[in-house]
Amino acid sequence: MQTGDFMTDFENKVTVKINGKFQTASKGAKLSSLLFTDMPCGGHGRCGKCKVKAYGGLSELTDAEAAHLTQAELKSGVRLACMTCVEGDAVIEALPFTGVGGKILTSGDAADFPLEPAFKKYGAAVDIGTTTLAARLYNADGKALAETGMLNPQISFGADVISRIESALKGSDGALANSVSGALDGIIRSLANTAGIPAKEIESIVITGNTAMLYLLTNTSVEPLSHAPFRARRLFGEVVTAQSLKLRSVNPDTKIYLPDCISAFVGADTVCALISTGIYKSENTELLTDIGTNGEIALKYGEKLTVCSTAAGPAFEGVGISMGMRGELGAIDRVKIENGVLKAHVIGDTAPRGLCGSGLIDAVACLLDTGVLDETGYLNGDSAVIAPPVVLKNEDIRAVQLAKSAICAGINTLLKASSLSPESISSLYVAGGFGSCLNMENAGKIGLIPKPLVSKVKVAGNAALSGAAILLLNKSLRKEAAKTAKTATVLELSANPVFANEYMENMLF
Amino acid sequence: MDIIAEISQNLQQGKAKAVKELVQQALDEGIAASEILNDGLLHGMGVIGEKFKNNEVYVPEVLVAARAMNMGSQVLKPHLASLGVTAAGKVCIGTVRGDLHDIGKNLVKMMLEGKGLEVIDLGTDVPPEKFVSTAIEENCQIICCSALLTTTMGVMGDVVKAAEAAGIRDKVKIMIGGAPVTQEFCDQIHADCYTSDAASAADAAAAFCRA
Repeated sequence: MQTGDFMTDFENKVTVKINGKFQTASKGAKLSSLLFTDMPCGGHGRCGKCKVKAYGGLSELTDAEAAHLTQAELKSGVRLACMTCVEGDAVIEALPFTGVGGKILTSGDAADFPLEPAFKKYGAAVDIGTTTLAARLYNADGKALAETGMLNPQISFGADVISRIESALKGSDGALANSVSGALDGIIRSLANTAGIPAKEIESIVITGNTAMLYLLTNTSVEPLSHAPFRARRLFGEVVTAQSLKLRSVNPDTKIYLPDCISAFVGADTVCALISTGIYKSENTELLTDIGTNGEIALKYGEKLTVCSTAAGPAFEGVGISMGMRGELGAIDRVKIENGVLKAHVIGDTAPRGLCGSGLIDAVACLLDTGVLDETGYLNGDSAVIAPPVVLKNEDIRAVQLAKSAICAGINTLLKASSLSPESISSLYVAGGFGSCLNMENAGKIGLIPKPLVSKVKVAGNAALSGAAILLLNKSLRKEAAKTAKTATVLELSANPVFANEYMENMLF
Repeated sequence: MDIIAEISQNLQQGKAKAVKELVQQALDEGIAASEILNDGLLHGMGVIGEKFKNNEVYVPEVLVAARAMNMGSQVLKPHLASLGVTAAGKVCIGTVRGDLHDIGKNLVKMMLEGKGLEVIDLGTDVPPEKFVSTAIEENCQIICCSALLTTTMGVMGDVVKAAEAAGIRDKVKIMIGGAPVTQEFCDQIHADCYTSDAASAADAAAAFCRA
């Protein structure tokens, strides 16, 4: 058949033009099966993240779409890929990536708050993650002018928090501080460049991060963080100057606010996420989790806020998985079953090189579905092909079992400590980059999160950065953040018998 | 399949509840507690341990099997005590001071028990002096130390020094383990034995006690 026209050969086949390329599709096919889009809620029309532009022969607008799309979006032909089917020839286009988002101000995801900026012209919010740095620049109207991110250069001192602490104790503390402050200068200059403003006009910065990251930034002795009882003497909630952090891109007296941390392992990033998700003031029973190397989990129940930290290890970042990799070019980031066969999506549409975290979870879920993997974690054979040459081996499955069980057991232990069942939770906010690209149905299927919570997931994105932005744009809320941090109770998991038992139970699929 | 083989089989599959019930049933049928222990529980744990060493099964399977073993031994314990069954050796085990990780330590403990050794569990965050005083008071042949943090494994060296200072260094073997621990580190602090996994640790401990 000729491409370039809209003629179809078969009655139940239609021609669709996807991102400029023609292909045939079956009538009734969901747009999400024709092009890969982010579907954090697993394709249930709940999160509204799989927006595409589409016109032609399409199914009628669903209620879910009406709820998630603005009038302007509806007018310009935006639909949710998970809810829309092709019924005739159609054109579908992925939306351009909108990196700069005043998201925290415009969308209902974040807590509403009045503007009361800590600056007159420009301010910046920064999240120092163990793996990545992310930042946004704002003007006094609360508008995000630029957004950027990069890898945390401290990775050269060790990938995880403990190895960096060890490195600092062995005398690299100054080098670690310089490494991150240098990167922050780069980020600040890049933000200013994008917005077309002089960096020196940035008057106020909020820098959030986990406790260890803030210790390493401020060159505070990490000795108390290196061993039990892990008493972090400095828990921040303080204003320092740019000069004291050796930041050179802004004026030396620029005020840097470092939000409160809760404990040695539950930091300002969690406090900021509690602020941006609105959990801190919620009257509902809600959970927050950041699924990463170190999974922080928080539970709001009545007036009580309980937090814990669970070590999932780096499997979800592709480390310790034989063909694991970061979400870069050539990484399989999504896998699904089509006609009983695994179908992988590769970042950049090139040949697959490995699996990133979201692809890993999809792959395991698909292998469970096809019966190649049994509930105890045994692979039928030494390895399973995901998309040649990418395979998953038995030991990769073990690494996934250990990692997913740590998160799930952490959630269950927190619930049990308050005598709550998963059913009594009204929302589970999943924060962090990895959480944002995760298929939640599959996360539930493999037991990364308890199954009853799958339908309650709300994807919060970089909730730590959003929270830092809120504390930048509303100075008064810093008091709320401090109060939240001080009233939180820390549940220690490493010597907790309930956790040990849950950890074993949840290893199975 | 006879009930003893069934106990071993269910233990290997990690079916804790079934193991517990089968052990009780075997006792009710009048089978000797020592036979249930040796040919049922310890046999099953031995199979798992061997598979673990050969990379045929991994930590999750061992953990669930060990938990099943634990459930079974709890039923068995009072009966063994009344028979006067004695252990093949005595070990004290703990995670060193400053470290709270106990899952690996518990795994080794269960494997040691799987070899018929008596194990005194000192828990986590254990000061060097506690290891030594327990070894003296309880007459242990072996001290087992675990550490999961690179920042706490140094404490294992302090345990060796404390044993020297107390004058019991020639009477106890000091075994060390944990994710960051290596043979080099073991040599460096003059400990007696490092093993990379729980099953090998149990084998080494059993060998020390026979010697």
